[in-house]
Amino acid sequence: MVLNKAATAIFFAGLLSVTGQAAMAAESVNFVSWGGSTQDAQKQAWADPFSKASGITVVQDGPTDYGKLKAMVESGNVQWDVVDVEADFALRAAAEGLLEPLDFKQIQRDKIDPRFVSDHGVGSFFFSFVLGYNEGKLGANKPQDWSALFDTKSFPGKRALYKWPSPGVLELALLADGVAADKLYPLDLDRAFKKLDTIKKDIVWWGGGAQSQQLLASGEASMGQFWNGRIHALQEDGAPVGVSWKQNLVMADILVVPKGSKNKDAAMKFLASASSAKGQADFSNLTAYAPVNIDSVARLDSTLAPNLPTAYAKDQITLDFAYWAKNGPAIATRWNEWLVK
Amino acid sequence: MKMAATASRPSTATGSAASAAGLASGKASAMAQAPSLKQRWRGAGNLAPALLFLGLFFLAPLIGLLLRGVLEPVPGLGNYEQLFANSAYARVLFNTFSVAGLVTVFSLLLGFPLAWAITLVPRGWGRWILNIVLLSMWTSLLARTYSWLVLLQASGVINKALMAMGIIDQPLEMVHNLTGVVIGMSYIMIPFIVLPLQATMQAIDPMILQAGSICGASPWTNFFRVFLPLCRPGLASGGLMVFVMSLGYYVTPALLGGAQNMMLPEFIIQQVQSFLNWGLASAGAALLIVITLVLFYVYLKLQPESPVGASNAR
Repeated sequence: MVLNKAATAIFFAGLLSVTGQAAMAAESVNFVSWGGSTQDAQKQAWADPFSKASGITVVQDGPTDYGKLKAMVESGNVQWDVVDVEADFALRAAAEGLLEPLDFKQIQRDKIDPRFVSDHGVGSFFFSFVLGYNEGKLGANKPQDWSALFDTKSFPGKRALYKWPSPGVLELALLADGVAADKLYPLDLDRAFKKLDTIKKDIVWWGGGAQSQQLLASGEASMGQFWNGRIHALQEDGAPVGVSWKQNLVMADILVVPKGSKNKDAAMKFLASASSAKGQADFSNLTAYAPVNIDSVARLDSTLAPNLPTAYAKDQITLDFAYWAKNGPAIATRWNEWLVK
Repeated sequence: MKMAATASRPSTATGSAASAAGLASGKASAMAQAPSLKQRWRGAGNLAPALLFLGLFFLAPLIGLLLRGVLEPVPGLGNYEQLFANSAYARVLFNTFSVAGLVTVFSLLLGFPLAWAITLVPRGWGRWILNIVLLSMWTSLLARTYSWLVLLQASGVINKALMAMGIIDQPLEMVHNLTGVVIGMSYIMIPFIVLPLQATMQAIDPMILQAGSICGASPWTNFFRVFLPLCRPGLASGGLMVFVMSLGYYVTPALLGGAQNMMLPEFIIQQVQSFLNWGLASAGAALLIVITLVLFYVYLKLQPESPVGASNAR
C-alpha cells in the first residue's frame, strides 16, 4: 500500500506536468503546510492579508510530505512553491540540493532570530518540547524537570514521548542523566539509550499532536514530552494539565522553496510577508507558537505571551538542527534497533 | 465456490507472467490438447486496454521504484546488505509476518461463525447482517481505529467496566502493544473473511450434510469431515487476502501498537518521508513483495481443486 502511494505520487507528478502548464495566468503561490489549526492560522495570519495587499493568490495545499517534495524536484515538475518543514529536514534538503536559495533582498534576514534562518530557509514559527503532566494523576506532587520522567517511584504512570527519531527524546534523556546543556552535542547515544532503557516499558509513543493530547488529557499517560502549543490548548479547554518549562527544548518549523518552483518571485514576496514582525506576531497570537521575528515579541497578546517559549528563554535549550540534519539517518538506525530490541 | 476458484485462476495466467504462466501452460499442454489452449486465449486481445493501464500505471512505477533499491545512493546491493546485516530489520520483518499471521488466525476464528450465522438465518435476516458487516467497511478507518483506542486504553470503557465489577484491580494493558494491534486489525479484516466465506457456504448443498448424517456421521464428524473441507476454498481465499493486506497495513499498527511492534510499512514510511532514503525503503518494499509472492505461490500449490470438481471426480 505504501509502495503504491509513493509510486502513484511519482506518476501523478509526471501527469500534472502536462496539465499544469496550461493554467498559469494570474500570479499565485502554492503554500503547503501540515493542515489542521496550524495551517488555518497560517492562512489567516499570512495568506489572506498578503493576497489582499499584493494581488497574488495563495493556494493552500497539504499536508507536507517530504517524499513528495523530493519526487517533484527530481521529476522537474514542482507544484509547490512554499513548504512548511521541520528545521532539521530544511537543512538536510538544502544539503541534498532540493531547495532554492532565498532572496534576502526581500526577506529581512537581520530581523530573524539567527537560530531560525539559513540560506535556504526562514523560520515559520518555533516551539518548545515541554514537560506536561496530568494533575489529576499526579496530585500535589509536581514534576520539575526531565529527570522526573525517569523517576517512576515518585511519579507513577506512563510517559508519553514523541515517537520519531528526531530532535528531542535523546536530548531530554541525556539532560535527565545529568549532562550539561552545553555538552549535549555530539549526542552520547549509548548513554541516552541506556537512560531510556530504564523506562522503556513505561513509554507510550505519540506520533501527532492530537494523539499526544488524547494521551495526556485522558490520563493514559501521567506525564511526558509535548509541544507547548498543544498543552496550552488543553489548558484553554480546562483540562487538568500542568506544565514545566524547565529545560524546554526548542524546535522550529522552517519555510522553504523547493528547487524549480514555478512562482519563485511570488514565493519570496510571500516569505518576506510571513516572516515580517506583523505576520509572525499575528500567527503567534492565533496558535501559541512563538514568532521567529525579533520585533514580533512586542506585538504579542499580553495574556498569551507568558505561555510562549519566548517567555522562557532563560532556561531554554535549542536543539541542534544542523547536527540532526547530518546524523539523523545514522541515529535512526540505532533508534530502530533500540526500539524493537 | 465459483468465486474462490476463479479468484485464483486468472492470477496464475496473468499475474507473475514469467514463472507461473509458464508453469500453468506447461501443465495445460500436458493435460489437454493444443486446441483447448487456443480456445483459452481466444479473445485475450480484449484485455489489452486493461493490461496497458495496469502496465503503465502500476507495473512501470513499481519497477521504477524497485530499481531504486539497487541504484540509490550508489549502484549495487548496499541497501540489501544493510537490511540483512542489521538484526533490528530482521526483527521488524518478523513482527510484520507474525502480526499478519495472528490477525489472519483471529479473523478466521471470528469470521467463520459469523459467515455461518449469515448462511443459517432466514434469508432476509442474513442480508441485513451482511449489510451491517459491509457498513462497517464504509466508516473511516481512522475513526474506527480511534474508537478502539477509546475502548481499550487504561482509562477506557472496558477497563473501567471490568474494574467497577471487581474482576481486575489494575487496568489491563490492551493498547500500545501487540494485543491492541491484533484486536484492531482483526476487527477491520473480518469483512474480508466473511464475504468469500459466506459465498462458499451459501453454495454448499445442505443435502450433502444430510447425506453425511444419514450415513451415520455424528454432528462433530459431519462438521469436521464434511462441512469444513467444503468451506476450505472460502477460508483459503479469505485468509490469504487478509494476510497479504495485513502485511501492508500502516495506520492501525501505528496508532494501536507500541513502537517496539514496528512493522515493515512503518519502517518504509520512515525512510521515505523522514530521511529521503528511498534506496533502503525500496529494498524493504522489494523484500516484502518477494516474500509475499513466495507465500502466494505456496498457497497456489497447496490450494486443492474446487470442492465441486473434487467431489465430481470421486
